[in-house]
Amino acid sequence: MNYSFQFGEILANGDLLLRGLKLTVLLFVLAFSGALMCSLFIGLARGSSRRLPNLIATAYIELFRNTPVLVQLIWFYYALPALSGWQPTAFTAAALGLFLNTSAYCAEIWRAGLQSLPAGQWEAGRAIGMSEWQLLRRVVVPQALARMVPAFTNRGVELAKMTSIASTITVQELMYEAKMLSTQTFLPLETFTVVAVIYFVLIYPGTLAAYALERRLNSKGA
Amino acid sequence: MQYVWDFRPVWLNFGVLLEGLVNTLKLSGFSIGLGLVIGLVLALGRLAPTRFLSLPATVIIEFYRNTPPLVHFFWYFYGLPILTGISLSPFAAAAAALSVQSGAFFAEVFRGGIISVERGQWEAGRAIGMGHAQLMRRVILPQAFRRMIPPLMERSFELVKTTSLAATLTYGELVYKAMVLATQTYRPMEIYSTVAVMFFTVLFLASLGMRAVEHRLARRTAR
Repeated sequence: MNYSFQFGEILANGDLLLRGLKLTVLLFVLAFSGALMCSLFIGLARGSSRRLPNLIATAYIELFRNTPVLVQLIWFYYALPALSGWQPTAFTAAALGLFLNTSAYCAEIWRAGLQSLPAGQWEAGRAIGMSEWQLLRRVVVPQALARMVPAFTNRGVELAKMTSIASTITVQELMYEAKMLSTQTFLPLETFTVVAVIYFVLIYPGTLAAYALERRLNSKGA
Repeated sequence: MQYVWDFRPVWLNFGVLLEGLVNTLKLSGFSIGLGLVIGLVLALGRLAPTRFLSLPATVIIEFYRNTPPLVHFFWYFYGLPILTGISLSPFAAAAAALSVQSGAFFAEVFRGGIISVERGQWEAGRAIGMGHAQLMRRVILPQAFRRMIPPLMERSFELVKTTSLAATLTYGELVYKAMVLATQTYRPMEIYSTVAVMFFTVLFLASLGMRAVEHRLARRTAR
């Protein structure tokens, strides 16, 4: 196995990978920022004692957590145009699928975070006449947020890895460009090695941040 | 716009989907088994007292945990043969990628379980003259194993979902069979919906089973 690596040709096509990388980052930012916000409401519904919101939120969360992302993305790509008559681009379908998937996981983080607060906090807020929304914004979320940040960071890492699956529905992000490049250059070994390293450099800081945040939280709690 | 659902193509070809599901479970079972072995080796390596072992194990674990599985699928299928001269079948490439990738996650579960064993246990073992390997085998692992069961099962469910990526290597698991059927019957909606329901049923039942196991474990430790 005297194989001589030819990384030069891959690096010469760096602009192609860079273009894919931009779309990967865009997918991540759209899906993650959307999911962080919307999942609060799903998490509230999931923790609610009222029957109907609880049922809908539970069904939504379980459905998305118990099916593969690949199936979800393909489903949105084909199902949306058939059901609504609106033909989304591959990018829109992928962003929507990743957003809904991440929302389901983040909703569980919100629920656990909100439930971790002592009931006295809720009661005290209500006692001084705060509305539910005021209570959430001023009392509950600021306190719960710190405990949830490591979990959200881990979710962000998972999402960043998931964006690569968008390539299967022809979104021209990093993984898609890598496949193109590997068939053009006949250098799959070098291409996928370089792309794996790019993903690692992109994602590892997130994991390190999650470690650090967890450690800080544990030392503060002790 | 009214979409007219027609599930007939699904029922007529349900045997094909079932065959895909069997292949999904085959790939999952094989990769979980091999992944657990790789995971244990990596965890013991990371915890080994010498840097000679702990550094490479740490690098492998962190690398595989922080890169998308899809890249590894392609690397093992298209890249590895160039390096080794042996070309892998789609099943072998998918199983190898999944086993190593999940092994990295399993390793962290093993490591977490091992370091959660109280320090007194380690000290007691050393005090009666046990070596590192003996201590691990006779004292630490048997105690740590019970705590690892729930996270190991959760990780295995993740693996089952990840097997769907083997469709991109044309391995005939459930999603690949669905892709073929969808182009043959022009009924992607019905077919992919059915596939989603099939995955959901398997994974939801499995997670209910996991909750039952967790419950029993919790009761036993409480006693």
